[in-house]
Amino acid sequence: MTEPLDPIRMKRAMHARLTRRTFMKGTGAGIAGISLASILAACGSDKGPGAAQPTDIFSGEPGNLVNFANWPLYMDEGEGSDGKVTHPSLDAFTKKTDIDVDYKEGINENAEFFGKLQPQFEAGDPTGYDIIVITNGRQLTALIQSGWVYELDPALRPNFEANAADFARSPEFDPDNKHTMAWQSGITGIGVNLDRVNGPITSLDDLANPAKVGTDTVGMLREDMPNAVMIHLGIDPKTSGPDEWNEAAAWLQHQKDAGTVRKYYTQGYIDDFKVGNLAASMAWSGDIEYYRVWEDKPFEFVFPETGALLWVDNQMIPVGAANPVGAIELMDWYYQPEIADMVTEYVLYMTPVKGVQDLMLKNADAYRDDGDEDSAKRTEESAHSDFLFPSEEFLAKTSFGRNLTTDDEVEEWDAIFDPISQT
Amino acid sequence: MGNRRARIPYFLAAPGIIWLGLFFLVPLALMLVESLKTGGLFSGGYHFNWEFSNYGDAITKNSEFIFRSIRISAYVTVACLLFGYPLAYWIAFHGGRWKSQLLLLVLLPFFVSYIIRTIQWTFILSDQGIILGPLKSLGLVSEGFHVLATEFAVVAGIFYSFLPFAMLPLYVSLERIDKRLVEAATDLYASRLQAFLKVVLPLSLPGVFAAVVLTFVPATGDYVNAELLGNPGTFLVGNKIQDLFLNKNNYPEAAALSLVLMVVMVVIASIYARALGTEEATNMAAAG
Repeated sequence: MTEPLDPIRMKRAMHARLTRRTFMKGTGAGIAGISLASILAACGSDKGPGAAQPTDIFSGEPGNLVNFANWPLYMDEGEGSDGKVTHPSLDAFTKKTDIDVDYKEGINENAEFFGKLQPQFEAGDPTGYDIIVITNGRQLTALIQSGWVYELDPALRPNFEANAADFARSPEFDPDNKHTMAWQSGITGIGVNLDRVNGPITSLDDLANPAKVGTDTVGMLREDMPNAVMIHLGIDPKTSGPDEWNEAAAWLQHQKDAGTVRKYYTQGYIDDFKVGNLAASMAWSGDIEYYRVWEDKPFEFVFPETGALLWVDNQMIPVGAANPVGAIELMDWYYQPEIADMVTEYVLYMTPVKGVQDLMLKNADAYRDDGDEDSAKRTEESAHSDFLFPSEEFLAKTSFGRNLTTDDEVEEWDAIFDPISQT
Repeated sequence: MGNRRARIPYFLAAPGIIWLGLFFLVPLALMLVESLKTGGLFSGGYHFNWEFSNYGDAITKNSEFIFRSIRISAYVTVACLLFGYPLAYWIAFHGGRWKSQLLLLVLLPFFVSYIIRTIQWTFILSDQGIILGPLKSLGLVSEGFHVLATEFAVVAGIFYSFLPFAMLPLYVSLERIDKRLVEAATDLYASRLQAFLKVVLPLSLPGVFAAVVLTFVPATGDYVNAELLGNPGTFLVGNKIQDLFLNKNNYPEAAALSLVLMVVMVVIASIYARALGTEEATNMAAAG
């Protein structure tokens, strides 16, 4: 059984995680990633994608170090004796394998991180990372199509093969998990501030109804809303085309004309949500659940009755990785239920590993035995959450978004949806 | 000896010229190269191809943002002049021995990061924050009233950020005016208003020109205030450039749009300089 986390430390750490997916990217930091060196690298080379994948990339022994890039606050945290932040699950990996992990929380946006790595890929140079975590979408598809991430060796991921949840196996964007292993997953639904709405919110139509949410009180997620609206309209995004995209755009324009939308966010909606600027918003499940469960805010995460958007943050090994064998060993490490539980209890997103729910319930019992009824109750509540451990019936009402696979599709998609959020 | 003396100004200017070359001209050239590339996310990246159509695309797709940015920058510049000029005048003519301290007060916000200053406005102007919260509790404004996510908030945010940029050159030009000229005007039966309009204002025009340029040009490219304080209707050309670079990975169109914006700014500044006749005013001030 996993050691229950210190609840005080966990709460303090979770308070810090409040901006995991809403971490304010450095908007004043200039053009992040487009440095002079990177532009020079891009200019100086007309090469295509990086070096061809070596046939024996996963042969041999793992190296001593894995460089792991992830999103902020997306890993379990503890506190060392020197007061510094530690990651117990990574420390356990190092203790077991003697492989050190240089863990960096350097990913704030998929496109921004992709932009940082692209010049290296184009020049055929290593990126300096062995593992990166990218959400399913155009950047992930571009990485795979361009041959900029390695194909994984299934023989080296026995835990994944044994314990991966069904939704994490062979997703549409990466059949047979040739290049990816899910890190965490989540749902884009509706966050509701119960103190500010007039009546129950059950679908996206309520976000276009001033009688329910008022005017200038709704936040929308710019990147997620096209797919979420298509799902709401009964369209399967995965098979959609320009006609369906225009239908979704028409709905979004109707919502905008209704006067309910305050802002379209890429990140940062939770900051406005917390201070009461929004009555409701398209939201990511983990963000709202944290505030509801651990901060007792009057928030509710609503799974829209017409269905919701499912997304996955995926581990991948970029071409040129110095230690691909160590990387896949680390990726597979997190497909052991007791290790996955350490992460899930911290980040409160949907784990791609079976068996974690039972472990969380056991940990809740352990809190109770220790006399910490508050932590026991909250852990139990999280363990029973459909958004962390969805039932099959629940998952059946979710869908991945449209996987754009050509530049023409990207151009048409942006031409249809950008004007909604930019004019 | 004469030749060596003639070369001295060039040696003195050399560090500045090298700096300008390395950190302005070279990046500009690289931006130009980037703007002429084609390709895409799924084409293995972008490759140089003399693609001048990127400029046509940048203009036709984004003209709305350019005009909107110019309009908002104009509001900000006028506001900066309306507030900055009296402030600079008062410090220059009536600041006395407190001039340095008063200038420091104007500059104090710059000790805080630009981003932090703007983020602070999101807390101050929050719907239930320290200003609107009490007003709503007292019933002085309606519950649905908000300042954030409006054009006013964006203009106010940019104005707050750029007021010192406007005020300082105004102060410098006003400070240089010989006060005896004002006295002479009043001795010749001019009223205080006439003295200001006929003597002070014309001599301060170089400062006005600098204030306008130092405010209008960077304000047009600003994206932080629109991102944090605005709404869809305040999406500016700076936001579009940021979106193209950081969200769409569309570097050629972003580079082309950046260069188009630069050219537009140069044209506007040139027309403005001609209209204001600042060269003549500068020469007069120098001769005086």
